[in-house]
Amino acid sequence: MRIVPYAARPGLVTSYLRQLRQRSLTLSDNLFAYVLNLPALVVVLALIAYPIGYSFWLSLHRYNLKRPDLYRFVGIENYREILTDRVFLNSLKVSVIFSLLSVSLILVLSLTFALLLNETFLGRGVMRSLVLLPWAIPGVVNGMMWSWIFNAKIGALNGLLYSLGLIDAYRQWLSSPTSALLAAVFAHVWNMVPFSVIILLAGLASIPGELYDAARVDRCGVFQRFMHVTLPWLMHPLLIVLILQTMNAFRTFDTIYVLTGGGPGEATNVIALQTVRTVLDFTDFGQGNAYAYVIMLITLIISIVYVRLLYKRGSFET
Amino acid sequence: MGERYTRLPKSEPLMLQTSRRQFLKLGLAGLGIMTVPLLAACQGKGEQPAPASPAASAQTPAASGAEVVTVRFEGWNYEPALVEQNLKRFMELNPDIKVEYTPIEGSQYRQKIVAEFTAGTQPDALYVRDDYFAGWVTAGYLQDIEGMPGLDEAYGRIYDFNAAAMTYEGKRYGLPYYADIVAFAYNAELLEKAGIKEPPKSLEELEEQGKKLKSAGLVQYPIAFGFKLTNDFWYDWWGLIYASGARLFNDKMEPIMHTENTVARDVLAWIERGMNETGIVDPASIELDGGKVRDAFLAGQYAYILFQRYEMARANNPEQSQIAGKVKMALVPSLDGENKGTVGWTRMYCLSKTTQVKDAAYRLIYYLGGLDESGVPYTAKWWFMQRGLGFAYKELAQDSEIRAKLQTFVDPDIYSRQAENARARENVQEPWYSEWESENQKLMQQALTRQISVDDVMKGMAENAERFKKQYGA
Repeated sequence: MRIVPYAARPGLVTSYLRQLRQRSLTLSDNLFAYVLNLPALVVVLALIAYPIGYSFWLSLHRYNLKRPDLYRFVGIENYREILTDRVFLNSLKVSVIFSLLSVSLILVLSLTFALLLNETFLGRGVMRSLVLLPWAIPGVVNGMMWSWIFNAKIGALNGLLYSLGLIDAYRQWLSSPTSALLAAVFAHVWNMVPFSVIILLAGLASIPGELYDAARVDRCGVFQRFMHVTLPWLMHPLLIVLILQTMNAFRTFDTIYVLTGGGPGEATNVIALQTVRTVLDFTDFGQGNAYAYVIMLITLIISIVYVRLLYKRGSFET
Repeated sequence: MGERYTRLPKSEPLMLQTSRRQFLKLGLAGLGIMTVPLLAACQGKGEQPAPASPAASAQTPAASGAEVVTVRFEGWNYEPALVEQNLKRFMELNPDIKVEYTPIEGSQYRQKIVAEFTAGTQPDALYVRDDYFAGWVTAGYLQDIEGMPGLDEAYGRIYDFNAAAMTYEGKRYGLPYYADIVAFAYNAELLEKAGIKEPPKSLEELEEQGKKLKSAGLVQYPIAFGFKLTNDFWYDWWGLIYASGARLFNDKMEPIMHTENTVARDVLAWIERGMNETGIVDPASIELDGGKVRDAFLAGQYAYILFQRYEMARANNPEQSQIAGKVKMALVPSLDGENKGTVGWTRMYCLSKTTQVKDAAYRLIYYLGGLDESGVPYTAKWWFMQRGLGFAYKELAQDSEIRAKLQTFVDPDIYSRQAENARARENVQEPWYSEWESENQKLMQQALTRQISVDDVMKGMAENAERFKKQYGA
C-alpha cells in the first residue's frame, strides 16, 4: 500500500486544519464566556457562597463572642447539642405548627382571592391593587400594627368585639399560648397572602380559554371545571407558592419578634426567633449558625418533597 | 461553523488616554495620600501623657495650636439632647478634646455594641450596664482603669454595691453613670377613696387592699408587672423577691432557689394566684413592658407599681403624669411584712480595650462619672437635678439642693431608707447572666399562663444556671 503524505492530500489537510481551528475557537469561546461571567461569579462567590460556607464553618466551632478564649473546633458538637436541646425541639415544634397553619391558610385564601380577582367585574383593577397592599408592609411594621390591634388595653379588636356585644370585657389575646399563636399566624398570613395571589393570578391567566369552553360543552359544573381544568393547570404555581411560603414560614422572625417576642413562655418561639436570640442576644455564633443550617436543611427537605410529589402533576407536556 | 461570539473592535477609550507609567505614578501618589492619615491613626496621634488629675486637667485648656483629640463616645439613647448639652460643657472645659457622641436605640444597644466590637469599629468610651459588664470584660471589650488619676478618690466615695458592680476580679473598670433601685409606689388618692389608710407592708395586705379597690370599682386591676419578654431584666420581679429576702444562689454560685431558699417560689406563686385567681394582678402583664406599666399607672389605671426609683420625679410631675401629686413611695411589700431590701443596679462609663486615646477618653468618663476640680460629682448631681436619676455617690444623699429637690416629689427619708439595703443581683457578674435571665422570663411566663407549675420554674432556673455555667466553661 502506498502511503500518501498529508501534503499530497489537500482535502484532508484542509479538513484537519479546520478541525483544529474550530477546536481552538471553541476553547477560546468558552474561556471568553468565563471571562465575561467572571465579575458576576466573583460577586456571587464573595456575597453568597463565602458567607454560606463561612457560616457552616462557624457552626463547627465553639464560638461565643463573650468568651473568645474558648474558641475551638468542635466538629458536629453544636448540632448534637441542639438536637437534644429542649428549647430547640420546642421551637421546632412551634415552627412546624406555625408553618402548617399559615401555609394552609395562605393557600386557601390566596386561591380564593385569585379566583375572584380573575373574574371580570367593575373595579377589578382597584381591588387587585388593594389586595396587594399588605405585601408592601415590612414585617416589623406589620408586627407593630397587629400588636396594636390585639392590644389588651386599647386594641381595635377588643374595641370592635366589645362594641358589638360579643365580649363583656377586654381580652388578653397575646397572653394565652393558643390565641397568641393564632394571632401570630394571622398577622403573618395577612402579610403574605398578596404575594401568593400574584403568582396564582399569573397562573390563571395562562390557562387556555378553550379548555373551559370544552368543559362547558361537556356540561361540567363550576366545581368540576375547577377540579379538572383550573386545579391541574395551577399545580406549578401552587407548588411555587407552597415552597416559598413554607420557607417564609420557617424563617419568619420580624413579625413574631415584635408581636409576641416568642411568648407567652415559648408558645410562639419559632426556630428563626431562637436563632436570632442565640446569635444576637447570647452572641453564640457557633450554635446560632448550627440553628441556621438546621432551618436550611428542613426547608430544603420540604422543598424536595414538594417537588417530587407535585411537580409531575402539573406537567402536561409529558 | 462561525464564531459564536463576535469580538468587539478595539475602540477609543472613553477617558483620556493614560500610559501605564503615568497610571502607576498616579496610583502610587493616591495610595500615599490615603496612607498618611492611616499611619497617623495607627501611631495614636491623640495619645498624651496622663495628667495628674483629670479634673485639674479639665480646667487647663491646651495651649493654642495643640492637637485636638477626638473621642468616640456611645451610649443608649436616654435623653440624648441632655447628654449633648453636658458634652458641650465638657468640650468647652477641655478644648483639646472633641467628643463624637452617638446615641443608640436602647433596645438594640447590646447587640449593636457587640457588632461594633466584632467588626472593630467600637467607640473609645461607652455606657455599660451591669447586666453584661462581666461578659464584656471576659470578651476582651473593656479595659481596666486601675492606676488612672482620681480613681481611688472617686471609688472611696461611692456605695460599696456600686463599686462592686464596676469591679471584676479585683480590677476596676468603670465610673458610675447612674445607680438606682426598684421602688414601690402607690396612688394615695385611690387608696384614700377605698378607705385604706396605710400602704401595704406584706403581700397579703397588698392582696386585701387590692380586693377592696376592685370591689369599690376604683380600678379593674390594682397592680401590673412588666413581664413581657425582653432583653432587659424584670426589675419588678427582682425587687419583689429581694424585698422578701430571697437568695437564688449560694456563695459558690450554686442554685438554691429550688431547694434551700423557697422565697422566690412563694413570691411567684403569689403573683400567679393574683393573675389567675384573685384578679389583683393584671393578666395583660405578660404583654406589657415596664414602660407601658408605668404609663398606665401614671394615667391612673393601677393603684400600685414597682418601678425605677427615679420615676418618682416623673410620677409627680404634672407635665408628665395625670396623677401628679398623688404618688407616694413606700417600702416594697414582702411575704412576712418586713422589708428586707430591693434590687439595685449600676450603669457605668467604661473604656474600650483598644482605644488609641485612652487618656482623653478617661478624662471624658471622669468628667461624666467622677469628680470635678472641687471634688463634687458634678454630672451625677446634674443628672439628678435634671431627671431625678439615682446616684452612686453617698454624699449626694445629704446635699441640700438634692434634698430640696427630692421633697418636691418624694419623701427623702423613704427614698434613702429603701436604698440602704438594696442588693445587686447575685449572679449579675457571671458572663452567662443575661442568657439565664432571658430563659427564666420564658419559664415564668409559662407558669403565669399555667402551662407549668411554679416548682417547675424553680427547677428550670436551676437547670438553666448549670447549663449556662457549663457552656461558659465555669
